[in-house]
Amino acid sequence: MIGKLIRTDFMKIRRKGIWFLAILGPFGVVALQMVNYGLRKDWFIQQDTFSWFYYVRNVSAFTPFALILGIVILASFMASIENETNAWKQLIALPVSKWSVYLSKYTTIGLLLVFATCLLTVFSLGFGVLLGLGGEIPYLDLIRYCFYPLFAALPILGLQLWIALVFQNQGFPITIGVFGVIMSYMAYFLPDWLIWKWPSLDNQWDEPLLNVCMGLVVGLGIYLFGMLDFIRRDVK
Amino acid sequence: MFSLLQSEWFKLRKSNVIYILFAGPLIGLLIGLLGNDNVFPDEVNQWGGSLLMMNLTYALLFLPLITGVLAATVCRYEHQAGGWKQLLSLPVTRGKVFITKYLLLIFLVLAIQLLYLGSVFSVGVIHGYTDSFPMDIVWKSILGGWIATFPLVALQLWMSLLFKSFAAPFAVNVIFTLPTILAINSEKFGAYYPWAQPVLMMNVGEDSNNVFFIPWEQLITVVGGSFLLFFIGGYIYFRQKAV
Amino acid sequence: MEYIVETKKITKRFGKEYAVEALDLKIPKGEIYGFLGPNGAGKTTTIRMLLGLMRPTLGTIQIFGKDLKRERIEVLKKVGSLVENPSYYPHLTAYENLEALRKIYGISKKRIDEVLEIVSLLDVANKKVKGFSLGMKQRLGIAASLLNSPELLILDEPTNGLDPSGIIEIRNLIKSLSVEEGMTILISSHLLSEIDQIANNVGIISKGKLIFQDSIDVMRKQSQNKISFKVDDCEKVWRFLISSGIKADFSEDTISMLEQNDENVATVVRLLVENGFSIYRVEEEKRSLEDTFLQMTAEERVI
Repeated sequence: MIGKLIRTDFMKIRRKGIWFLAILGPFGVVALQMVNYGLRKDWFIQQDTFSWFYYVRNVSAFTPFALILGIVILASFMASIENETNAWKQLIALPVSKWSVYLSKYTTIGLLLVFATCLLTVFSLGFGVLLGLGGEIPYLDLIRYCFYPLFAALPILGLQLWIALVFQNQGFPITIGVFGVIMSYMAYFLPDWLIWKWPSLDNQWDEPLLNVCMGLVVGLGIYLFGMLDFIRRDVK
Repeated sequence: MFSLLQSEWFKLRKSNVIYILFAGPLIGLLIGLLGNDNVFPDEVNQWGGSLLMMNLTYALLFLPLITGVLAATVCRYEHQAGGWKQLLSLPVTRGKVFITKYLLLIFLVLAIQLLYLGSVFSVGVIHGYTDSFPMDIVWKSILGGWIATFPLVALQLWMSLLFKSFAAPFAVNVIFTLPTILAINSEKFGAYYPWAQPVLMMNVGEDSNNVFFIPWEQLITVVGGSFLLFFIGGYIYFRQKAV
Repeated sequence: MEYIVETKKITKRFGKEYAVEALDLKIPKGEIYGFLGPNGAGKTTTIRMLLGLMRPTLGTIQIFGKDLKRERIEVLKKVGSLVENPSYYPHLTAYENLEALRKIYGISKKRIDEVLEIVSLLDVANKKVKGFSLGMKQRLGIAASLLNSPELLILDEPTNGLDPSGIIEIRNLIKSLSVEEGMTILISSHLLSEIDQIANNVGIISKGKLIFQDSIDVMRKQSQNKISFKVDDCEKVWRFLISSGIKADFSEDTISMLEQNDENVATVVRLLVENGFSIYRVEEEKRSLEDTFLQMTAEERVI
């Protein structure tokens, strides 16, 4: 059942430019580094930071914004596709359970994000090779710094999807999303318990894996909360 | 024209726009209180230091992004349930409708700027600043930031007229706003990038003799030029839009 | 009788207001059930509850003899519906819209062409629904409701936005679905004439309460014309008529009888005259089905 729903959700996002955004996001993150290294290559060499180690961390400095903004946009898109002609009443009157409808939306966004993250890995690798960075290519490090933020951002995905599906006026979830982006921009100053800090992989113990674990656990919690609330509500 | 503006405000008052307006000062407070203000040497005016830090995040990301949310909000009613055909079959010209929505938007942005000023002041009071409040610099910054959003508002209004959903104009907004993070690091590029203007105009710079923190030529060419481009583009689009 | 839909005292409360109160809906198998009521009477709320879109505040719903709350999915597999304005995805074509639903039902692709054929949208199947007229969108909604070859079809104001020929087409379609496929159909409307032409059973809802539910023939009987007499002493005349074995009702200053043939009326008049009663007026009171409906919903009286 859930497979069928996901397939229809992917069908519904046709011609909405969503795949374009999923490609543009990771491309943008790497493009920022193209500008960065294009302008300051000599400076990096001078500072002795022209290496894969620093490159991977430079790329991942912008990953949280792109990720959070992507989540905000995708969640709002998924909601407005159903809201536009109130297709909820048609969808929920089908022989499907409400939790599977919710899970399907969540998974669809999740899969799009995984796709974008894979592209991010490929793009960063490609540009890194092109730059001719010194040393051996740290594949594991690269994959880690691309995918860890995604897992750490799952609580934000749960939150944004929930408020996007619950509020008719999409101005509200998007404003919350803008808040989130700004919080993540200031991640360094934020206390460790705020979910918007997590995608930055920063914490006082300097252990990125901790953010991933918290992301998975709290993400599941927020997901369940949102889903139960969605099930409880009447369809208008 | 005035009656149109009144009607627009009436529609908006009933929506949740007030909460969106208060997001600005809230963000300001958050940045001001969370951020570390001990990084500046003692001889810098405490207000100036705080403003410098708050403005950076506020004008770099929040201000450009929120213009998009506001623009989509003022078009929301018309996109729902065929509101455009009702509004445009009233005895009003499309041009006036467009200009009214634009004016309303820049007033809303001004309101956000003023509320933000309030939060700057609150941050200072909470931190217990003793230095004198640098009125002229603050005003320069608040009004400058406001003027710098004029072209952004025009583009976002255009996009919000074009797309029914909130997400699509927001996506456009994001695509243009994010590069600012890099643009402001480059003196050459940043000066010409319209989305970098709010942060440049709000950024408390060296005491220049200009009215604002950027040179007049830059204000007129970059802000003025992009404003004309986006405003006229949106205006023409709306004139021809099939409803 | 076997009921496909049977609700027990379903009630929906929004805040302090009761949108629907203690409704006992009974829809017999294979029948076309007309669900009638003025706008805002609670028709759509009831239908939303039947589809599991809303939960009743109180009461239970049984469809196909199964409890809707517990076996919603099993039930909905055999239900097709169109609620209020049609729902669709404007950026997808008519075919793609149905394909999105078909995937969930897991039925053959052939069925999409079949239902498009039924509502005569086959030649615009590959056009985006964005550009459709209201009538075409409504047809698409009906096509969607038929996709799973349902045993119970729930149509909320299905002729909204259709032109006269479209209305006749849909009406014929509904009749043939009932006759040929043996489908049970619930169709709601605020127009009696609409229901009168296709339904065999009627439920009338007013201000959230079911004020009439029976076959349309029973309702027609209630709408029969009446003969009324204005006489000098009503009660006396009434007693006299009853004692003479003639059925009659009296109220204040009139005696009324259900429609009689001319001969019977003449007999009554003769009897009264011969026994010295004064007859001021003899009138025929015409009552159409529409009048009955209006009266029922206006007075909200349980008949």
